[in-house]
Amino acid sequence: MPPRLVRFGEAALLVELEQRIDPLVAARAAEMADRWESLGLGMAVPTYASVLLRWDPLALGAAEAERAARGILASSRGAIPFRGGRVIEVPTRYDGPDREDVAHASGLSVEELVRAHTSRDHLAYFIGFMPGFAYCAGIDERIVAPRLASPRSRVPAGSVAVADGQTAVYPADSPGGWRILGHTELVVFDAVRDEPALIRPGDRLRFVAL
Amino acid sequence: MTTLRILAPGLRSTIQDRGRLGHLRHGVPPSGPADALAFEAAQRLVGNDASEAAIEIVGLPFRCALDAPRLIAATGPGVRVRTRGTVAGATSVFARGGEEIAVEGSARFAYLAVSGGIAAPERLGSRSTYLPARIGPIPRPLAAGDELPIGPARCGADRAGSTITLRVPDGRIRVTSGPHAGRFRDAAAFLSGTYRVSERSDRMGTRLEGPRLGAAGGEILSVGVLAGAVQVPQGGDPIVLLADHQTTGGYPIVAVVVAADLGLVAQASPGEALSFYEVRVEDAVRALREERRRLDAIAL
Repeated sequence: MPPRLVRFGEAALLVELEQRIDPLVAARAAEMADRWESLGLGMAVPTYASVLLRWDPLALGAAEAERAARGILASSRGAIPFRGGRVIEVPTRYDGPDREDVAHASGLSVEELVRAHTSRDHLAYFIGFMPGFAYCAGIDERIVAPRLASPRSRVPAGSVAVADGQTAVYPADSPGGWRILGHTELVVFDAVRDEPALIRPGDRLRFVAL
Repeated sequence: MTTLRILAPGLRSTIQDRGRLGHLRHGVPPSGPADALAFEAAQRLVGNDASEAAIEIVGLPFRCALDAPRLIAATGPGVRVRTRGTVAGATSVFARGGEEIAVEGSARFAYLAVSGGIAAPERLGSRSTYLPARIGPIPRPLAAGDELPIGPARCGADRAGSTITLRVPDGRIRVTSGPHAGRFRDAAAFLSGTYRVSERSDRMGTRLEGPRLGAAGGEILSVGVLAGAVQVPQGGDPIVLLADHQTTGGYPIVAVVVAADLGLVAQASPGEALSFYEVRVEDAVRALREERRRLDAIAL
């Protein structure tokens, strides 16, 4: 399916590249966001497979914005992988409330589950949901973890969680529906740091069991 | 430097400027005023630039005092200012040094602007406050005794009495079609139904109760979202995203409230009825331009 440009109110366009989680697609979305912002037209928000392009509707007409978006889309064709990703170690104590349920649903022992979660690096695709929350995908396929039917009203900061093939560290206390395997002391968001979010798209998280 | 001393802070009043757009990609919500047009009206009435900071008052009444004379203005539906005498809202008032300034009324979000702006330090490139992650120059609700620095005055007593006529809301809200409207079996139900504002509404979003909506095709991959988006979680009760919205969301979006009407949604009280009708994107821009003209008319 070719990419779609979809109107999102009077001040934004959503460019849907695809409907799947793939490093090359997410990297293209991030690349398009960089290009849009470098044109000075407004801010952009890339996710797994789309990018939201925002502008000031009193300064730029919708037709002009769409033309600029199509230009960026055309010039970002082809595979542009994430560049310069770092490996970030996440020391984790696997003591989370959902570790046994997830192990059971996955047909694994808790030890095997921990080994599955620590045995590979997880690419950070984008930051969203809350300050510093990095969506990482590509967890071990054996791990079965649908979102909780009814989200918790409070997931503690530092929770290491999984849901639907993804994993993440909760940067702060928050409501949340992901399943909690453990926790880390690593501070993934700090508003007084120059770069407040520790994890950048393109980084890889390596969970290390304590 | 002139300072403003808070005497009675209301419930969850905060410092806000136009918003923090520079960290959306770090997952930091834009914040800024829930009712951007009311905020901007207050700023214009005291000669401030829209990029300066003012106080967003949640939970009137609010009382404060300045240590030097200054032009002030309060906005928000039904808001009035009391100093030596009561003045209607949306009117600039020259407050004397030391006198008590009370902002009264029942608006969900009222704005108090002081000529020169709140000169508190920027955090992550903005003076807006985002309470859930404690980001902002004073990253908590304002408290009695807080002293806020005020920048150099932009204009003086000769501008007192400037006023702006605010729109009278009628519960009818304009929307444009949402990016996922096609996924809804019953997108028309959203436009034909009447919704009530839920108690659980806040600066993140106005929650609506009324005809429930269902999208086909299950969950979507998360997309970037913005204030005004009407997202529909599994339960089917729509939420209109406001200033403190999450930067991305995985719920389908049925419609987008036009910027000119978003403040009306934010200001609607729990239990109040809202209905939505669709306009074209060009109409949305025209409506915003009209609001801008109304604000420009304040410049004296």
